[in-house]
Amino acid sequence: MRRRQPRRQLRRQLRPARRAAGLGGIARIVAVLAGVLGSLLLAASGPAHADGDGDGGAAGERRVVRVGTEGTYPPFSFHEAGSAEVTGYDIDVVKAVAERAGWELEFVETQWDAIFPALDAGRIDVIANQVSWNEERAADYGLSDPYTYSEGVIVTRADEDAITTLEDLAGRTTAQSATSNWAQVARDAGARVETVEGFAQAVALLAQGRVDAIVNDNIAVLDYLAQTGSEEVKIAGVAEGESTEQVLTFRQDDTELLTAANQALAELSADGTLAEISEKYFKADVSVEGGGGDVDVSGARARSSNWDIVRDESWPMIKGLLRITVPLTVVAFAGGLTLAVLVALARISSSRILAGAARAFISAIRGTPLLLQLFIVFYGLPQVGIRLDGFVAAALAFGLNVAGYAAEIVRSAILAVPKGQFEAAQTIGLDYRQTLRRIVFPQALRTAVPPLSNTLLSLLKDTSLVAPLLLSDITRVAQEAAGRTNEFLLLYAYAGLYYWIICTLLSAGQTRLEARLDRYVAK
Amino acid sequence: MGTTNGTTTPEIRVRGLAKSFGDNAVLRGVDFTAARGTSTVLLGPSGSGKTTVLRSLAVLERPDEGVVGIGDVEVDFSRLPDGKAGQREVARLRAQSGFVFQTHNLFPHRTVLENLIEGPVVAQRRPKEEVVAEARVLLEQVGLAQREDAYPFQLSGGQQQRVGIARALALKPEVVLFDEPTSALDPELVGEVLAVVRDLAEQGWTTVIVTHEIHFARKVADQALFLDGGRIVEAGPPGEVLEAPRTERARQFLRRILDPG
Repeated sequence: MRRRQPRRQLRRQLRPARRAAGLGGIARIVAVLAGVLGSLLLAASGPAHADGDGDGGAAGERRVVRVGTEGTYPPFSFHEAGSAEVTGYDIDVVKAVAERAGWELEFVETQWDAIFPALDAGRIDVIANQVSWNEERAADYGLSDPYTYSEGVIVTRADEDAITTLEDLAGRTTAQSATSNWAQVARDAGARVETVEGFAQAVALLAQGRVDAIVNDNIAVLDYLAQTGSEEVKIAGVAEGESTEQVLTFRQDDTELLTAANQALAELSADGTLAEISEKYFKADVSVEGGGGDVDVSGARARSSNWDIVRDESWPMIKGLLRITVPLTVVAFAGGLTLAVLVALARISSSRILAGAARAFISAIRGTPLLLQLFIVFYGLPQVGIRLDGFVAAALAFGLNVAGYAAEIVRSAILAVPKGQFEAAQTIGLDYRQTLRRIVFPQALRTAVPPLSNTLLSLLKDTSLVAPLLLSDITRVAQEAAGRTNEFLLLYAYAGLYYWIICTLLSAGQTRLEARLDRYVAK
Repeated sequence: MGTTNGTTTPEIRVRGLAKSFGDNAVLRGVDFTAARGTSTVLLGPSGSGKTTVLRSLAVLERPDEGVVGIGDVEVDFSRLPDGKAGQREVARLRAQSGFVFQTHNLFPHRTVLENLIEGPVVAQRRPKEEVVAEARVLLEQVGLAQREDAYPFQLSGGQQQRVGIARALALKPEVVLFDEPTSALDPELVGEVLAVVRDLAEQGWTTVIVTHEIHFARKVADQALFLDGGRIVEAGPPGEVLEAPRTERARQFLRRILDPG
């Protein structure tokens, strides 16, 4: 059912373009090629849908439940080195719940600050990621019974003596995930909060001296210290009165899932399964109140050498490159360029309506940040009933962005073709479309190739912004790996190397294309 | 060369042609006819409207008023319907003529042969083999048989202009229109182009030529039209118009052009 939905909605979006077709020849070409763009996007949506059908089936079938989790938050939600499967304490708990409740699970990994919007937009059904209970969340979401009890601790640099309690944070700066419970605790204590994308990044900022402290739960901090053997930071004190309970989070209206989850949690607690899972990760039972005071996370995972990390992450990165980064670039560029030609033609047409619409489009695209455009398509459109698959949403947003910039390149390239060429084409009987296709575009291409190549290279690198859209592109894979291993420099540089290689190949292609297009020009 | 429409109907009919660019009236009622197989030269000072008349015949400018007829197609621009129907009429009239530009306007990304066959193959949808064979004959006629695979930038100015002429002829038009075909050329290249134009006139093509080459006009033309201020002020055999003009304006112009010093 859901599979067909985006098509219908895309068609709805295209309808205005069709209506404009009454305006004349250009408008009709615009409409036809907009259809081409649409088909390109639809074709691209195929593989992305193959992952599964999110809304589940009729009663009696196992319901597919999509679990949102970070995948970069050990030991709760992380990847073992080189593994594509997400694992961890929260993952094991939600798997156990699913088994009891009869759910089929599908894991969707995204950074923390995109998790709640993803739940709101119906892209996931439950969050299993150490969500702490608080009143605001309880008012907006369906929160399960707790499955972890932890207490807050304050982390500082090892040589810091002035901070030991929450009161000491007044006027200081802490690094927290923007929407996390701990950010609010730090703010309430009078601290300024620098927002980060995950705990590992927060520790990096702390160690570099960019912030003074971090407030987080004791389990995550202890795990980090055990994992990294870091002596740069330490637990400086306990956040008094800030013991928290972690819960599974559902949409508020999704009571069916919530009820099933609570029943399952009660059973798992009663039969000792929860305690067992907790012992596996923490050598203590954090699933009961007061159980997590003194956890031992030392034996959980082994540390890896740089060489091992590079070797283990190569394949996941290449997969991210080949499955998301490159296809997204190709689809967005092809669709965007097609649209750019139409917008450019509309912009130079004699129809005031077309020219005005084209100008407005270009202005909107160039006047707003790309990241916001992505968010609007991915998180905004679902609120007006248009829910696109992640890849399609990204292709659409990037395609529109490319179109906005490339339209001006195409327009100036067309205008750079001498007027006499249009006239000569007229006198030999070519119509408008033949003139464009056979006489004008081949000559305009020569002018347009260098700036369009820039656009393509920018696009390739800009696709690294898709991480919040739940897509595992190469940058996202590198982020995950860096969060797990704390090798930021190594892994980001390694990912950068892949981008550089692709860009170099594209530049070589540009040189060859330019040489080919220059064959009819006097040297 | 083209269809017959009774021996008494002139090949080219122009009546009441008027055209303004904004407030500037370039043509103020131009009337003339030309018989089939004749050469007509348009003379006049710059700004007189002679090029606009020529461009109106090919509908590179759309006249505000007046009638243009070539062969059996006639368009009344005062009553041209809007939209599709009007565009179709304009296209039919355009198809009656071939146009040779002052600056050749060859397609730089196409070889000489490709420049010639583009219109016949793509616009007229004629079989390619036939068109190519004809194009080679035309290239021979303009003396460029060996250069069919050259790109325009590899040719001299005179050669480029001769390809431009061959491209117009390849369309098999009713009439061939020349817009100052030699004024962008170096002096030593003018002769080879004028020779081709003269050959065409002698072969019976109907031509209309805007030119400043008075000696050439006298030798080749069957009629000369002298324009001034958007009107035809002298018309007749070139001998008469060029040697015994009746208007002072024409006399001044000819004096200046024949004796620039």
